[in-house]
Parts: sequence; structure tokens; C-alpha cells
Amino acid sequence: MDHQNHQSGSDEARLDAMFEAYRAACPDLEPSADFMPQLWLKIEARQSVSAVFGRLARNLATAALALSLLLGLAVSISGSRVGPLPSESYAEVLADEHYNASLDFEPVRPAPAEPR
Amino acid sequence: MPAWFFGMLVDYELIRRAKEGDGPAFNQLVAAYRKRILGTIARLIGRPEDVEDVGQEVFLRLYYSLDQLRSAEVFEPWLYRLTANAAYDYLRKRRRRMESRMADLSEQQVLLADAVAGEKIDRDEGQKKRIREAVDALLERVSEEDRVLLTLKEVEGLSLKELGEIYHVKENALKVRLFRARQRVLKAFSAARKQAAGVSSLR
Repeated sequence: MDHQNHQSGSDEARLDAMFEAYRAACPDLEPSADFMPQLWLKIEARQSVSAVFGRLARNLATAALALSLLLGLAVSISGSRVGPLPSESYAEVLADEHYNASLDFEPVRPAPAEPR
Repeated sequence: MPAWFFGMLVDYELIRRAKEGDGPAFNQLVAAYRKRILGTIARLIGRPEDVEDVGQEVFLRLYYSLDQLRSAEVFEPWLYRLTANAAYDYLRKRRRRMESRMADLSEQQVLLADAVAGEKIDRDEGQKKRIREAVDALLERVSEEDRVLLTLKEVEGLSLKELGEIYHVKENALKVRLFRARQRVLKAFSAARKQAAGVSSLR
């Protein structure tokens, strides 16, 4: 048990020493001369990509609006060519159809039982 | 003590101006923080050759999200959060790229990590490079989350309070996460040592 604790304590210390050595081996870096120009190039590249997507989205929205206007126009033109609407209400039409349908069927009557 | 919490490197007015889209103010902000952020990234990712790329990604994210900053007072923890996230994304991508090639620590790396831990070596430039590689290879054995959290705590020296501000997590929860992360690194460390000892004894 003591040996295990000692081993784990020693591993912990070794790990700490390793992290410390790593810290010393990775000093702060001086940025290169073209760090800022490169950064601005990347910013502008992303801006142009989002501008392209923005333009695309605007064009799509315009096309969708134009299409819906055209469809609206087509529906209104075709609507004016259709004959007058029936004067009966929906309930009346339904009742008529139900009456006609009821004529098609005869009630099913069970056959009379034969005498034994 | 962490260097980055000694105080703000810029005044709040500059942050407010940058937030409103003032380009020169943003330039000043980057110029003030870039060295510190690049140093932190270097320790988080362990690859000097990729540090500038990740640093530019941090400031790119800063540029496009500055308008979401609640107040200038929380600028530093927020910048550190962006840094930790960018490092995490980089490490995750790198792991995917190198998964097949970096399954295990090489024997030399393990022996070097051991020597580093025992402070048996001189630290000239070549040796520093090998230390970075050895620790980097060891940290490859744990998750990116563990790696970033442990590096911020053990290498950068951030306090639990500062980590809590970056991660938006309570100190007790952080203690548990840190303890578990440390245990996993210790386990990887001792497994690698045993593996290296096994390889040596076969010779």
C-alpha cells in the first residue's frame, strides 16, 4: 500500500516536472511580419464568400417573389374563365349526393329460418 | 501565476471601437494580444510550424464574433475561450489526419519523456524540440478536451477561477474534470514507460 502511494506520488511529481520542461521548451513566439496582412486576407476572403451567399440569397428571394406574382396572376386569369359557381350551398350538395347514394343500396334482410 | 490575467493589455474604449467595426482599432487589439495568444497556442498544440495559422483563425473568429461580446470587461476570458476552441479544433483535425501514423509513442520518445520528467537532460534547441515532440506524443494519447484543459492548467498556469470563466463551469466540476484528465495522462505515461521497458528487455 505504502509502495503504491509512493509510486503514485512519484509519478505525479514526474508529470509535474514534465509539464514544467514542456513550458520551458515552448516559449512565446514572435509573430512573423506577414501575420497581419495574412489575417486581413483571410478576413476579406470570408467577407467575399459571405457577400456571394448574400447576393445569391437576395436573387433567390427576388425570383421567388416574381414566381409567386406570376402564379397569382395565372390563378386570377384562369379563375375568371371558369363558369359561375353553383348556387347551392355545400350542405345542400352533400344532402343531394347522400340521397342519390341511398337509392343504390337495398337493406340486407336475413333469410327466413327453414322449419325443422 | 498566469501572465494573461495580470491586467488588460488594452483599454475598454479600444475594444468598444473594434466592436463597432473600426478597422484600425481591431488592428491595435490584435497587435496587443497576438504574442500572448501565439505563445498559448504553441503550448496547446505543440507544433510551432502551425501556430500562426491557428492564431490567425483565433483572430478571424474574433473579428466575426466581436459584436456578440457582452461587455469589454469579459474580453480576455472570451478571447481565451476562442483560443482554446481553435486549438481544440486543430487538434481534432490533426488526430483524424494522423490517426494511422501516430498510434504509439516511439521508444525514444518514451525514454526522452522519462528523462524530461527526471530532469536529466540539457535543454538546448534540439533538445527542446524533442521535449515538445515527446510531450506532444504523450498528450496524443488522451482526448483533445483533456489535453487543452490540462495544458491551460498545468502549463499555462491558469487558476480554477480563470478556467471557470473560460469554460463557464463551476470550480468543483472543473476540479473533477482536471483530476480525471490528469489520471488519464498518468495512466498513458506509465503504460508508455512499461511498453518501452518491454521493448528494451526484448533486445
